[in-house]
Amino acid sequence: MNNWQRILSVARRELRIIRNRPLYFMGSIGVIAFCAIFFLTFLDHGLPDDIPIGVVDEDYSTTSRNFCQQLDATQLGKVVHYNSFSSAREDMTSGKIAAVCVIPEGMNEDIQAFRQPKITFYVNGLYFVSGALAWKDLLTMVNLTNGAVQREVLRAKGYNDAQIMGMIRPIDIDTHQIGNVTTNYNYYLSGILLPGILEMIVILVLIYSLGAELKFGTSRHLMDTSGHSLVTALMGKLLVWTLAFAAIGFVIIMLLYHWLHFPINGSIFNMFIAMFLMIFASEAIGIFIIEMLPVPRLALSVGALYSVLGFSLSGFTLPLEAMPPYIQGLAAMFPIRHYYLFYVQEVIFGAGFAGWWREVIYLLIFLFVPLIGLNRLKKAYIHQNFPKE
Amino acid sequence: MARKGFIKTWLLDWWAIFCHELKQIFSDGGVLLIFFVAGLAYPLLYNVVYLNGILSDTPIAVVDDADCSDSRRFIREIDATREVEVAAKCVNMAEAERMMQERKVNGIVYFPRDFGEKLARNETAKLSLYADMSSFLYYKNAMIGTNFVMLHEIGQIQMERYSLAGMTEQEASQVIKPLGYEDNNPFNRAFNYSFFLISAILMIIIQQTLFYGMSLLVGTQRERNHSFASLPDKLEGHGMVRVVLGRGGAYWLLYLGIGLYITFIVPAIFGIPQRGQFTDILALLLFFITDCVFFSMTWSTLITRRESVFLLFLAMSPICLFLTGCSWPTVAFPGFWKVFSYLFPSTFGVQGYINLSTAGGDISAAGTQMRIMIIQTIIYFGAACACVFAENWVIRHKEEIRERRDALARKAGIDKADDARIIAGE
Repeated sequence: MNNWQRILSVARRELRIIRNRPLYFMGSIGVIAFCAIFFLTFLDHGLPDDIPIGVVDEDYSTTSRNFCQQLDATQLGKVVHYNSFSSAREDMTSGKIAAVCVIPEGMNEDIQAFRQPKITFYVNGLYFVSGALAWKDLLTMVNLTNGAVQREVLRAKGYNDAQIMGMIRPIDIDTHQIGNVTTNYNYYLSGILLPGILEMIVILVLIYSLGAELKFGTSRHLMDTSGHSLVTALMGKLLVWTLAFAAIGFVIIMLLYHWLHFPINGSIFNMFIAMFLMIFASEAIGIFIIEMLPVPRLALSVGALYSVLGFSLSGFTLPLEAMPPYIQGLAAMFPIRHYYLFYVQEVIFGAGFAGWWREVIYLLIFLFVPLIGLNRLKKAYIHQNFPKE
Repeated sequence: MARKGFIKTWLLDWWAIFCHELKQIFSDGGVLLIFFVAGLAYPLLYNVVYLNGILSDTPIAVVDDADCSDSRRFIREIDATREVEVAAKCVNMAEAERMMQERKVNGIVYFPRDFGEKLARNETAKLSLYADMSSFLYYKNAMIGTNFVMLHEIGQIQMERYSLAGMTEQEASQVIKPLGYEDNNPFNRAFNYSFFLISAILMIIIQQTLFYGMSLLVGTQRERNHSFASLPDKLEGHGMVRVVLGRGGAYWLLYLGIGLYITFIVPAIFGIPQRGQFTDILALLLFFITDCVFFSMTWSTLITRRESVFLLFLAMSPICLFLTGCSWPTVAFPGFWKVFSYLFPSTFGVQGYINLSTAGGDISAAGTQMRIMIIQTIIYFGAACACVFAENWVIRHKEEIRERRDALARKAGIDKADDARIIAGE
């Protein structure tokens, strides 16, 4: 048997193992399918709407009613009326409403008489997205109310509409959101979370696949099949898994950027490169962990603890700059971090090769990591001298 | 007499199961790794990662084609905000775009040529903001920074214009701002990222490590051909409650300690606000841990092998985080996922903990959550008992089930002997 045939027979053996243990199927395709369905349907709306905002209207005038109606009519907000501040505050503390807006008694009269009444609002910043959006909505409404009053005054003074615009709004900002025009949370989160979950799956499944040989004591037979070469054994196993993961990665990229039309400034083909490289790098990490710790239970626990951290350290929610410096260095250890930087260049800016070539090199460096412990794993496979569980 | 005997045996059985479970926990390295390394070190690690929690001075580039005193003042004021720092002044958009692509800046502010002229002509002058959406916090900072400066500038310019129209300063200020506002963000003044996220992560760590640890043990027992649910033989299949409470008691005791550490000591170390009453939070924690114990007991029944829990359920951790509603608001959940979120103690534990500890509400602020957790506890307790019953049934009918399974495999064309030969060479 030449080496190619040995690789193929290891691969055939791996397929038999997969068929015998449904866990492999559930743990890879089952988990990623569930997560894809979850995130893509959960964040389907892109931006939350009708966030409940409590209003305590102590004025009961046309102006205050008008204010409430306008606030209710915004896409973001939905008004919930309260009779007292204390009950509204209680509901805000318990997270039922995102903000409380208090309209003071006599607001209408005070506005007419230019006594400058004050609307007070309280935002619950602990429910992050809803709090921030409610705050933005309330600020906009107050500014619009101010503009409306000014317009009435200026009209009464005989200004025409063009002049009034200049008086009310001397400066305007025209905002361009590069890479995500509609502030869509689905584009923002799913675009990184799903590859992140795939990274987690690749690491865990590979650790399990290699560790199971030790656990069930089949590693010697594996070495027999591969002609006593660990590299051949790994090649055979990786052949199966790389094809499987690459297929999953392919579907994810197609799903996001082709079928669901997530915005992409660059080319979807380059994202395939990013995805495949991330999968290879994650495989390398998985192999490295089982090499260093040829005890399946410990290796899996370590793999789990490692891959969960990737979500935070990719820096796509809280940017890395805001983390302590010693944590920033750690982030380079996670393939998903490099995938994210690649994604920024390709999806957000469409910069192409010039933008992401560095990430390619970093991801390729991961591939050399398993070389460190090949011998250690080979010895463990032959002597089976580590605890089995 | 018989009654007394029952209570006595009940307690003795309970005590035996309780001690046995504790012994199991402490003789298993993997479980200890999850309970003590993950349970104790992860809260610290996450706190370090999110230590600052606020992104300040997001670098932006400025392209000033107007080059007038107004635009220069605007730039100076943006630079002075907490949110934004003017990192570069570029000669044209191409240069600024390149800097943004190289991630040296995360936003661009562009003043068109006619900016100053329009201001001088009493028209609306427009400036453009280009924000990098690769992280929403960049966008938020760039937006807030420039908008506050804009509002401030508008106030100044309006004063000038109204004065020119013949108003006194007093009149002008009254017309410009007929309605004032005062905004408060009492629980999280600067929209600090860590306050809400850490509070949520802490409670999720409690639930997930408990679940993973317990599942590891259940898987191990099953691999060794023991059962996690084996009742004392003399009971002849009765006494599910004893087993559930005995095993549960062991985890409950451990997690009381870990829970106290996570909910009280960790936030104190890192200065996460602890505004609540100690007794209120303790009550919440007791409910939460009890709920988590029965939750884990029920779902860990699904685990047949030691390692499978990570492969199958590790991805649930980020999903649980989303289901708490602390980032994506609960009102925006699609109906199905809202119902799904009711499966997890963490959904209510996190909300309750945020309301009580971080927001400082009184016990009624977590009333709804606690009530739901009580209902969950009752249901999961019943389910855990049912699982013990089912497990015992399976043990008694082992042979039948194996035969059925083999028959199914044969039907599907799987030759087990051939597979074994290829896999293990037997």
